[in-house]
Formats: sequence, C-alpha cells, structure tokens
Amino acid sequence: VTDPLYQALIVEHDRSPRHHGPLPGATHEATIDNPLCGDVVTIRLVVDGGRVTDARFEGRGCALSRAAASMLTTQAAGRRVDELRALATTFDQLVAGDPDAPVPPGLGELGAFAGVRRARARRGCATLPFRALVAALSR
Amino acid sequence: VAAHEQARHRRLRDTIAAVLGARVLGEPEAALVAFTLDGAHPHDVATIVDRHGVAVRSGHHCAEPLHRRLGVDASVRASLALYSGDDDVDQLGAALGGVREVLG
Repeated sequence: VTDPLYQALIVEHDRSPRHHGPLPGATHEATIDNPLCGDVVTIRLVVDGGRVTDARFEGRGCALSRAAASMLTTQAAGRRVDELRALATTFDQLVAGDPDAPVPPGLGELGAFAGVRRARARRGCATLPFRALVAALSR
Repeated sequence: VAAHEQARHRRLRDTIAAVLGARVLGEPEAALVAFTLDGAHPHDVATIVDRHGVAVRSGHHCAEPLHRRLGVDASVRASLALYSGDDDVDQLGAALGGVREVLG
C-alpha cells in the first residue's frame, strides 16, 4: 500500500532508524519537544573544526519525525556546519512550499518529504529534528 | 441525542477494540473513545484515517498528566455526535485496519 505521505523511504527509516542512540563525546546537543503532541527529539553532534564528524538522535515521536531525524543525522556526518544550516533552510522551504513545485535540489533522501506539503498539520513533525539541529548548532 | 450517541458508542467501542493491536484507554461511557494502536503513533493513525474520510483527534487532548499516568505518549480520540451514524463507525474501523499496511 502506498500513500503519498508515507513513502517507502520514510516508512523504512521509521522502522529501522539510522544513527539512533546516545553519542558519547558529543560537543553539541539540543532537545526540542512539542507539548501539543508529545513528540520530543534530541540531536547530538560531534563538531570538529567547523565540520560535523558524527551525529545521533534520540526521542519519541511519529513516523515522520523519526524518519526525518534518521535521514538528517545520516546526512550530517562529514558536512560543514554552514552546509547543515543551509540544509535546514532548504528543508523548511520544501515543506512550506507549493505542493506542485519541483523538489529543491540538495535534499537527497529528505526529498521524500514532499508529500508533507499536502498535509499541513504534519509539517511540524517533519521539521522537529531540524529545529533541534539548529538549536544544537547555536550552542 | 443521548440515546443516539449511546447506541453508536457501543458500536464505536467494540469496533476499535476489535482492531489488531488496539488498546482502549479507560472505560469510556459516552460519546468518545480514546485509544492507542501498537506500532503506530497517534499522529500517523490520524493522518491515515483522515485519508479515508474520518476525522479523529490525536495527541494529548489537553490531558498530558493523564497520558503520563496511563503510560502512553499520546492517543487517538474518536468522538461521536448526533450526525454520526453506524456507517461512520464502520468507516473508521475499516480505515484503522489499513494503518499497518501503510506504516509497513
């Protein structure tokens, strides 16, 4: 069964999340929760010389927030901090964009979230890990 | 109104309880049923049944301490009114049966 929102890639990341768990030696971390829905996500990073060398997430949430966190932490490792901030901005533009517009380039697997554009109430689920990422990078 | 809701409510409670992995919270007596579904977050459940034309609420329903006490992060809540019929309840039951297929 395929659903325009629950793409196979999203379902797969939800069922088998990557980079999930604690991160000993993390230099940056932030926890963001959404008291309205009960979702909470913690992003932990190891930042060395302006570059993220490792990333992990923990928390509880719906399939969308878990999959977004899994894809995000997968992409984060090896990226420069400014590249990750740009990724967060591009992802925000994707989920808030016109449902019929082309998916912005540079998102990789995260482009699977294009279906969220037609599910307005669920945008916050997809962006929750990105808000945690940006908060972590600001510390 | 009460008699109409009461009759639909029995059907609603039984329909939800019959779904694989469903847990009805408490012992609802009137108009609504709050529940969880194993392996599916309430937000995902609500979005998926919405696609089948059934609107339910998901989250804490302004009762965060109660959810903590019940040991659940959040729940789905189906509510009845005078305009809800048996067909609406059955539609919810069918939609809930499809949640697992969507979430893999």
